[in-house]
Amino acid sequence: MPELALAELDFKRRLKVDLFPTIWCPGCGIGTIMIQLAMVLDEMGLDETNTIIVSGIGCTGRMGSYLKHESVYTLHGRTLPVAEAIKAVQPDMNVIVVSGDGDTASIGGNHLIHAIRRNARLTVLCNNNEIYGLTGGQTGPTTPTGTKTLSSPAGNPNTPINLQGLVRNSPHALYAKTTVYHLLHMRNAIREAIAHDGFSFVDITSQCIENNGRRIGFASANEMLTFYRKTYKRAAKDAEQLAPFEIGVLHPRDRGAPAANGSSQAAAPETGPAAEPVAKPRPAVDDAEKARRRADSQRRLALMQQLDPAVKLQVAKGELTLADALRAAGIDPESAA
Amino acid sequence: MRRLTQGNEAVFRGAVAAGANYYAGYPISPSTEILNVASGWAAQHPDFRFLQAEDEIASANAIIGASLAGAKAFTATSGPGFSLMQEAVGYAQKVGVPCVFVNVQRVGPATGMPTMPGQGDVMQVRYGSTGDYSPIAFYPNGVAEAFRVTVEAFNAAEESRSPVVILSDTFIGHLNEVVDLDEAAAGIRVAPRTIPPLGQHEPGKPRFFAGVLMYEHGPNAGEPATADADEYLRQYYETKHRHAEVAQRYALYEHGWNTDASVLIICYGIVSRVAAPLAADYALFRPIRIHPLLADEIRAIADRYEQIVCIEANDGQYADMVELALHREVKRVPLLGGRVSLEAVRDGLARVLSGGPSEPPIPPVPVESAERSPLGIG
Repeated sequence: MPELALAELDFKRRLKVDLFPTIWCPGCGIGTIMIQLAMVLDEMGLDETNTIIVSGIGCTGRMGSYLKHESVYTLHGRTLPVAEAIKAVQPDMNVIVVSGDGDTASIGGNHLIHAIRRNARLTVLCNNNEIYGLTGGQTGPTTPTGTKTLSSPAGNPNTPINLQGLVRNSPHALYAKTTVYHLLHMRNAIREAIAHDGFSFVDITSQCIENNGRRIGFASANEMLTFYRKTYKRAAKDAEQLAPFEIGVLHPRDRGAPAANGSSQAAAPETGPAAEPVAKPRPAVDDAEKARRRADSQRRLALMQQLDPAVKLQVAKGELTLADALRAAGIDPESAA
Repeated sequence: MRRLTQGNEAVFRGAVAAGANYYAGYPISPSTEILNVASGWAAQHPDFRFLQAEDEIASANAIIGASLAGAKAFTATSGPGFSLMQEAVGYAQKVGVPCVFVNVQRVGPATGMPTMPGQGDVMQVRYGSTGDYSPIAFYPNGVAEAFRVTVEAFNAAEESRSPVVILSDTFIGHLNEVVDLDEAAAGIRVAPRTIPPLGQHEPGKPRFFAGVLMYEHGPNAGEPATADADEYLRQYYETKHRHAEVAQRYALYEHGWNTDASVLIICYGIVSRVAAPLAADYALFRPIRIHPLLADEIRAIADRYEQIVCIEANDGQYADMVELALHREVKRVPLLGGRVSLEAVRDGLARVLSGGPSEPPIPPVPVESAERSPLGIG
């Protein structure tokens, strides 16, 4: 997809590419989430000076170490209390929690309930792969009933936790459901969640091929993504609730002012810094602008393709501007126009 | 202003004097007054952040987050809550997060005797979390001292970059004394923050605070070092030496009473107050910085005394440490079940100094026909 090329170069500023390759298994969905998050951070102007990443234990927890942000890798399940306190002490910071379903909804389930209740001004990205992947594939809180796992060889006898119901229990919280297949939708969901002034939760269905997918009959990660493509459908724009296998962004039921007890503020009337959202979503762009951007991106891609791979990496890392790299290689920037 | 002040309140006032601006906690007897006072203070001081958390696990992790974000943060609890906090204590030790935990002890284990004083958590402070670490802890024995010790605890936490524990107990926490804390606050030394708050890192070098062992320097910096003993040794001993060096600056203790006596009593916290009427007949060694053990200080005086008796509201936890350090017998008077009284101290001393056992005589099981004791009071 050539139009992604431009974004690709920019979002890499948000990643510690020198630590790549990541520790995640081939075919894992977490990297996709990280890339989409990096893209959204980059386009919203969120960087290491205004955004803090808090992650928990599990495969997803390692995402914090690859993002070029101040990051706290907490104990298992304890992302939310740590994040809530950071937000309370530094209300102007964006605090984004990245963690898996086990960390968020099982061992950290109590904190989730109460962070929602207190309307902590956090964004939670939950990599929901329906399994404990890091430990080899045990039943998690979101594992569907009947799924065979290492710890439920006869099929999970329990009902998965209802994350949508949990989050939507608060009139102030935003809940979004998306999948690793629906990249554009995922980016929109993450963007709206970060822009939301209150608790926001992005529930991202993703594939764990190594420790779940194969056991339940998928041959490859690609098959799992195809399954998401075929089964997950967008919900109606004005949907109040998402049915199973529907993706969408559910805005808070109460669109008015959030409650005064948000984010560990003192019991006093809100006299602290104003709870203004730090970043707003970008305004919609018209078709002419989109065409111009696409052309610009394709031109840049064509130029990049002429460069040596080592130089490309330097450009991606931001150590070298594209113009300088082209000049050094003796390429005319206008040649691909 | 001289004012009747409670021990728990003095801890809170000391924290504020030391610059604390974040409190997270969960109600639990006998520490709840600290939570109450904190919420009231927060209502009047918007810069002071307060969180009534859903449990002690959240409290402990919240003060870690607050500290990393730039606040001087603390929490208060009692034994059962402190048990829940242990994992977070280990995290703060590993990551190097300055923060303060207050444990107002009651009688355990488990729910135990929630309103009675105990000192059963002395070794929980030392060894409660997983792995090896070197905690610093203080134990005051009065209201004014609770204030001073809290200030020192915050300073030691900053300088050592570690979680520092203040031990207290039901009686010290609920002790009311007329003190002038404004006067006590004048001229105190307050240590500055020692780690830059989140977001104020070296440009282009965002930090990654991890409970897992990571390389800090060299070509692998920023990558996990989860199977590298060399990196573990470097980090472990750097931390251990730093803690020991800071602890040395806070070698607080009291050596007094009748130092010409032949018997040295070692006790701390409320027991030292209860036993004070015996001052004419015994010498006293009272550790205020209870961890790490004041081994050199005890060794320096121990030879003067024929016998050493440790009196504590637990079954000889501090006595074990002293015995190991001195390589000589330390007699024990355990004051168990909340029976922290002068009579119990006198009876115990008489028993162990005459060669008797440390275990007190166990009363018989009450017969069915005995009069009923309605409120669980023995």
